[in-house]
Amino acid sequence: MKTCTKATTAWLNSVEYKEKNFAREKLVINPAKACQPLGALLCALGIEGCLPFTHGSQGCTAYFRSTLSRHFREPVAAVSDSMTEDSAVFGGQTNLIEGLKNAYALYKPDVIAVFTSCMAEVMGDDINSYVGLAKHGGAIPEDLPVALGHTPSFKGSHITGYDTMLKALLEVLATPRDEDKINDRLYVVPGFDTYPGNLREYKRVLKLMKAPFTLLPDNSDVVDAPNLGTYQLYPGGTPLTEVKDALNAKGFLFLQSYTTMTASKYVDSQEVPVETIPMPIGIKGMDQFIQSVAKFTGLDVPDEITNERGRAVDAMTDAHQYIHGKRFSLFGDPDLLIGLVSFLLEMGGLPVHIVCTNSTTPFKKAMESLLASSPYGQDATLYANKDLWHLRSLLVTEPVDMLIGDSHGKWAARDADIPLVRIGFPITDRVNLHRSPIIGYTGVINLITMIANTFLEDVDRNSPEATFEMMR
Amino acid sequence: MFTNLTKLNLKDKPCLSEAGSPKLCMKALPGEGAERSCAYDGARVVLMPITDVAHLVHGPIACAGNSWDNRGARSSGSQLFRRGLTTDIMENDVIYGGEKKLKAAILEIAQRHTPKAIFVYATCVSSLIGDDVNKVCEEAEKELTIPVISVNCPGFLGDKNIGNRIAGEVLFDRVIGSGDVSAEKIPLSINLIGEYNIAGDLWGIIPDLKHLGITLQTAITGDAKFDELRSAHRASLNVLICSKSLTNLVRKMEIHYGIPFIEGSFYGIHDTSETLVKIAKALNDPDLLERTLVYVQRKEDETRKTIAGYRKLLEGKQAILFTGGVKTWSMVSTLAELGINILAGGTQNSTPEDFQRMKALMDPSAQIIEDTSSAGFLKIIAEKKPDLIVAGGKTKYLAHKTRTPFLDINHGRKLPYAGYEGMIKFAETLTRTVLSPVWGHLRREFPPKEGEKND
Repeated sequence: MKTCTKATTAWLNSVEYKEKNFAREKLVINPAKACQPLGALLCALGIEGCLPFTHGSQGCTAYFRSTLSRHFREPVAAVSDSMTEDSAVFGGQTNLIEGLKNAYALYKPDVIAVFTSCMAEVMGDDINSYVGLAKHGGAIPEDLPVALGHTPSFKGSHITGYDTMLKALLEVLATPRDEDKINDRLYVVPGFDTYPGNLREYKRVLKLMKAPFTLLPDNSDVVDAPNLGTYQLYPGGTPLTEVKDALNAKGFLFLQSYTTMTASKYVDSQEVPVETIPMPIGIKGMDQFIQSVAKFTGLDVPDEITNERGRAVDAMTDAHQYIHGKRFSLFGDPDLLIGLVSFLLEMGGLPVHIVCTNSTTPFKKAMESLLASSPYGQDATLYANKDLWHLRSLLVTEPVDMLIGDSHGKWAARDADIPLVRIGFPITDRVNLHRSPIIGYTGVINLITMIANTFLEDVDRNSPEATFEMMR
Repeated sequence: MFTNLTKLNLKDKPCLSEAGSPKLCMKALPGEGAERSCAYDGARVVLMPITDVAHLVHGPIACAGNSWDNRGARSSGSQLFRRGLTTDIMENDVIYGGEKKLKAAILEIAQRHTPKAIFVYATCVSSLIGDDVNKVCEEAEKELTIPVISVNCPGFLGDKNIGNRIAGEVLFDRVIGSGDVSAEKIPLSINLIGEYNIAGDLWGIIPDLKHLGITLQTAITGDAKFDELRSAHRASLNVLICSKSLTNLVRKMEIHYGIPFIEGSFYGIHDTSETLVKIAKALNDPDLLERTLVYVQRKEDETRKTIAGYRKLLEGKQAILFTGGVKTWSMVSTLAELGINILAGGTQNSTPEDFQRMKALMDPSAQIIEDTSSAGFLKIIAEKKPDLIVAGGKTKYLAHKTRTPFLDINHGRKLPYAGYEGMIKFAETLTRTVLSPVWGHLRREFPPKEGEKND
């Protein structure tokens, strides 16, 4: 980010400044995380007929809706009970009850997902008893399922909020496990995933496998709804009947390790077989997904899948020379980073800086062991709980060839004069990226396309005539 | 602990439900889903465009994480204002208090980011846990050579409008006339108040002012530098562009500095000319008035000639208009200039005056949008079947789902629409929006009914 003078820029780009910048403790500059309730909202959108409802100050919801809308380029339905100064003094009971009543009357949801923003949590609102009062007083029907999640923004991040809401929804909607009523379905949980393209890809592959499954939650038709001429408030989501039957599942397969920790613990505690695998980015990741599905369902891997895998590794061989040995910086959520780093290592790319604002100790260990497992991981350092201003210092003092992350990284990439390949959330300055999968074998091909072609585009635009060639 | 609302004099203009106008300043009903932002956001909207200062949010990640660099306000110089600075209040701070962290953050910014001043925004959390942002700012200021200004705007105080006014108070109390600045008036100089240089709007107005010999002291706060803002009291006239947000500020400046104010708009040919002439009259300079009258006539003719082609393409189209502030009425005449008729109009963040002005300009048959929720908005689209919708970004994707062309005229846009140049850009963009071939594809039934040609 330019600040007036050349001298300032030189200072900001110096190693000396980097050291001072890394000594910074009390200030966050250009944060790379969102807050718990945003994650809770995204989770709730994936359940059929579910209305996300923030118990808190009204501005929070306006921010979530606009952030999500700018990423998906879709309307995002959510309400708030607009707590004000009165509620700060007297508590949020009246707002929550009035809010539930109005929201139910206006939007006729089948489920309401109530999650808190900071204000209610600082005051310690007893939302459980307020919802009880709302039901007994007739503000909403007694039998209307209302899931409750405590999701203050001063704890965790969007991925923690997603986790909390998912557990709350299962607790309210799913009936207890009954060994006589076990269904044949594998419940697949994508985690905090802002790519409807990923969700559709999971479903496509599971259908190819002929595996009976439920994707839970599934917001693909909500945040990527077809234009059929009329606006649908509840255009999709995991069917309620299947959510209800979730604990009778043959098994649960969680596809992210750090966004569903409490939800998976809960399912496990209900005696449901559970497996958690890393987000299936890259060949190994997707292999593990296919094998887990095969194991759970007892099904063989069909030829179509084997052929798809074959095409993906073929694409890797076609493009290896463009990625092997290149230096990368990455930032984003833990699961995304594990997946992307693992993919880069498969291609011989060199991750150098890995910045994770919402890092945890288990993630740190997992990332370090992943890096240690490959000769290409030796140059990498994980910067836990750092922000994009730290990242900027890293990029200008220890140069790399490419930055991978969401749109918020564009300043740092510009200052370092390197390309940014946009992967993550939010992506607010490019179209359609969320529609094309980065997971699975298809995702391998898409990632190669994005990364290799960005390098090649750079070469073509900047090479002198003597080395300007038809073939690359 | 809380901002004293009576002290802020927020009730100087009661939001009465005047004859025929909806309850404009009515609080959002819990659960209605009207998607209003908060007082914090309102304060940020007004102050964030000040370019060479640091804006530090003392709050949890939600407040800054969701709002840094999100407005599209542009700067011709320093980009410091776009840096997302926050104390990122965590659970421990909630328990033990965040004042020490805040102080350290302020000192860090002052030392490493060379701001002309630091604005520190209180949030719901910092207010509820009892952090005294004022006191911390005062203490920090004593150790520094720059102003550290607290903005007491926790979101729970209410709607965006309240935050706008709090920001106005802060500008009056802490910025304008502060420091070692002269009090001497600058002849033929104005402040443009409520102009935030969204998408570079301001830069479309400046050439006209320059040509006429009018000095822009500062915009409040588009592309504003802190030192220019400090001297805002030296202007001879205040021109209030966004009438809702900073009325309190111009009134106080009138009383304390003797600066008269007028209201105006730079959207559309008619309003741009009218405002320039009003400025010339208010500055009380016969020569200026004479050159302005000649100038606006020439610019009007030139601009109309340039947009004639667009007008031909747009004439007779029917629109729904939904916006706030000055655009409420200014857009009515802007659209009329292009031959577009308004079927229904509505507003959420406007004064009753704005609203009445809009109503007076619209065709009497035009409907007033009373229900501003998503449901109400969809209902009116279904009833009126407009050719286009002109509104803010919040309704954009909703409108698209109804297959209606949509133009964003609020802060989500990327092109400047102000002044004569802006009018040309507006006409061009609107034409491209309405005449885009995508609407045809969307509306074509598929698969085609028997006997119909699928062309």
